[in-house]
Amino acid sequence: MSNNLDKVRNIGISAHIDSGKTTLTERILFYTQRIHAIHEVKGKDGVGATMDSMELERERGITIASAATHCEWDDYQINIIDTPGHVDFTIEVERALRVLDGAVLILCSVGGVQSQSITVNRQMTRYKVPRIAFINKCDRTGANPARVTEQLRDKLGLNAVAIQLPIGLEAEMKGIVDLVTMKAIYFEGENGEIIREEEIPANLSAAAEAAREELLDAASMFSEELMEAALEGTPTPEMIMKAIRQGTLSLELTPVMVGSAYKNKGVQALLDAVNNYLPCPTDVENLALDLDKGEAEVVVTNNSDDPLIALAFKLEDGRYGQLTYVRTYQGTLKKGDTIVNSRTGKKLKIGRLVRMHSNEMEDIEESGAGDIVALFGVECASGDTFTGGGLNYSMSSMHIPAPVISLAIVPIDNKAQNNMSKALNRFTKEDPTFKTFVDDETNETIISGMGELHLEVYIERMKREYAAEVVVGAPQVSYRETITKRADFDYTHKKQTGGSGQFGRVAGYLEPLEEGDYEFVDSIVGGSIPREYIASCDKGFRKSIVKGSLSESPITGIRCVINDGSSHAVDSSDVAFQLAAIGAFKQGYQKASPILMEPIMKVSAEGPTEFQGAVMGSLNQRRGMIMGTSEEGNYTVIDAEVPLSEMFGYSTVLRSLTQGKAEFTMEFASYKQVPKMVAEEVILARQKRKKEQQK
Amino acid sequence: MLKKDLVEKNPLRVFHRDANGNDVTTRMGLLMARAGLGKTAILVQIALESIFRGNQVLHVSIGQSLDKTRTWYDDIFKVLVEETKLEKSFEIRDDIVRNRLIMTFKESEFNRPKLEERLNDLVYQNIFRPNCLVIDGFDFENTDRQTLTEIRELAEAMDLQIWFSAVCHRDDHRVGDDGVPAPCHEVGSLFDTVVMLKPDIDKSRLSLNVVKDSTGCIQKGKVLYLDPVTNLVKEA
Repeated sequence: MSNNLDKVRNIGISAHIDSGKTTLTERILFYTQRIHAIHEVKGKDGVGATMDSMELERERGITIASAATHCEWDDYQINIIDTPGHVDFTIEVERALRVLDGAVLILCSVGGVQSQSITVNRQMTRYKVPRIAFINKCDRTGANPARVTEQLRDKLGLNAVAIQLPIGLEAEMKGIVDLVTMKAIYFEGENGEIIREEEIPANLSAAAEAAREELLDAASMFSEELMEAALEGTPTPEMIMKAIRQGTLSLELTPVMVGSAYKNKGVQALLDAVNNYLPCPTDVENLALDLDKGEAEVVVTNNSDDPLIALAFKLEDGRYGQLTYVRTYQGTLKKGDTIVNSRTGKKLKIGRLVRMHSNEMEDIEESGAGDIVALFGVECASGDTFTGGGLNYSMSSMHIPAPVISLAIVPIDNKAQNNMSKALNRFTKEDPTFKTFVDDETNETIISGMGELHLEVYIERMKREYAAEVVVGAPQVSYRETITKRADFDYTHKKQTGGSGQFGRVAGYLEPLEEGDYEFVDSIVGGSIPREYIASCDKGFRKSIVKGSLSESPITGIRCVINDGSSHAVDSSDVAFQLAAIGAFKQGYQKASPILMEPIMKVSAEGPTEFQGAVMGSLNQRRGMIMGTSEEGNYTVIDAEVPLSEMFGYSTVLRSLTQGKAEFTMEFASYKQVPKMVAEEVILARQKRKKEQQK
Repeated sequence: MLKKDLVEKNPLRVFHRDANGNDVTTRMGLLMARAGLGKTAILVQIALESIFRGNQVLHVSIGQSLDKTRTWYDDIFKVLVEETKLEKSFEIRDDIVRNRLIMTFKESEFNRPKLEERLNDLVYQNIFRPNCLVIDGFDFENTDRQTLTEIRELAEAMDLQIWFSAVCHRDDHRVGDDGVPAPCHEVGSLFDTVVMLKPDIDKSRLSLNVVKDSTGCIQKGKVLYLDPVTNLVKEA
């Protein structure tokens, strides 16, 4: 690895599912000579694409976990993280974006800006990731890169500007016109590896001139030198490239490229653009939190000679133990060095350091600032920070969404039980959105996550990777309870059964809390509850909100205020006041009109316009609220908010309604009140289930 | 302020309430202005006022994205909450979302038959039953009287109120008999109310000038203006 950080690129490849990310990555690895043959996703040769290293990914043709890989192009070191396309795996996308300096946003030239592209773009904006766009699949029938560029502007609000034009479209796609050099580029040979530069074909010269004018107008906003040269008619490719880079790094310009990874067109030009326009580690300001100074923000130096700061952003369980992917922000990781996990304070020794190439690896001795490598045998969780030289820093925390769906799983035998425990232990470390616990009452193991597919994949992985066969229960929605009005309580807990008694009186009120889950307010004046028991009241309330009385779901959005009470010099204790608070809560909760809340998903269904009415009707039948529709040509996107409980099995319904021509994505939006009739059914079903379990 | 005050004190009530305080139906209204003066802001306020009165509104946005249109509602409502110190704003915001549906079309792809088909999809499947339609970005330059007549008939058949926005140009001086400027000068008679947003002579503010009104609710002249800071419509 070169120490010259100017020639290092840490990039992500993000897009909507089926936009061709994995195919594109495969071509990149081929042209950078990391692999010597091209295998297709769902390939007939049965090998599968190199980046889809998990068996399951190869079978389904989607990338589930991001695989990191390293390659070199034109003397530049490029670390690529391939990211999943399905919203259920958004945490993977978010993690990848956290450690990357730049990204390539892949779009399908037919589908255009689809729902997942919008989510990914929002995530890129959140992490301030400069991006370039690649409009893939220009060989497909209906390809319209100009429309996609327009959508990048309209739907994503990006200042998208074409830096290439396609030479022909659909089956006629032959190459690209580079608007910076004003040359036509053709990709020849069996795998498009031979590049031939020509003059722009006469039939495209007017369009190319017009597009170049647009490019110069947009790029010159970032360079006075280019603006002056453009006015004088003497702009050079170097000036244009410098201005595009400036605009891209400032997140104010998104250069748009075209091609077809599958037909081997435009990939090498995209690699050039990665080098030319995406940032190197020193172009990006990364912040760490100084844990000794109240989490004060500190800018990392990117200097390999400074004390180490590195972030573990992905874990994988391999043949040789846990493989931990890390991004080094400053300092050097060296084989044999001792580093500190700043979360646990534990010291760890680096036994083996490798550079990853999907599922193959290369042993290295050290890795400097700005690099992405993997460590072997290091005990940690995803998101942990490693430091050296006495630093107590943590990289800023990641935004982690709460799980919305759960399933009960029961191992089929003792062997499966042991393997399941191992698998769950691994998965929860790898994925912070995947949670697991044992239900106290039913003794069942519950797994929860971000969607049906999310959990399905883990169940499959349990089976394949850990030989843990489990019986899966029906998916359960994670309901919540809350209150709708203020209610007073005044409760005395008194117990005298010989020996020292228990006494505590707690008075106050419960009220709805608009933002946040729980708040405790101590409004006691005059010491009616002694100071040492205030925390006991808080504890009692916290225990009460774990399970509500309607459906035993957690209670959220509640403020517990205490303003009076009394104590006994001998009989009052921490336990007595906790029990008094629990009693007070029960008393107040019933009066505060509790309601059941359910997760509402933001659903985006896309498909041919002819099915718009049918799709809207199907969402409406599922208690969905249609938020809006966007019609473009024969394609319509319907945005709706639908309760998660109604979305189970919707993909099958949508497929049959639309002859398989529509698809949908969904992500958690908010918790909302369950309609009364439905709430009664949910409560009854829970009671019935509980009775059955008690039998 | 409470929600009922938003209805009672809303400046836009002048478009549907006569001197005796009775509600009058404006079947088709037209808001005209030069580009960039704030037509969408006013249409969104007309839609919100209708929702506050318990109606369902279908917002048809031609040439603008769904997110952009939604942002208009969010921004205007946010300012309205701040300006009026509105109570229970969370509940009212939920109410707006429940009673509003946005449909976006490309400029070249919107037409009367498509509108009717979409409305039928919504109404017959009981998905959404709008009482009010706002159509932002309708191309009056390239439409004919027949199309607008059919839209009016559709509005009557479905008992809808429709508000359109139209862009007029500084250098186009054509005016219809009823005072409605180009490009709507030949279709002015199809509208019950036509208002024009334009800067006052001293350019101190943007006023809503009533060009035409056949509902009997408002007199010709300046009755409302657009606050340049908040984009909210206010009484003159």
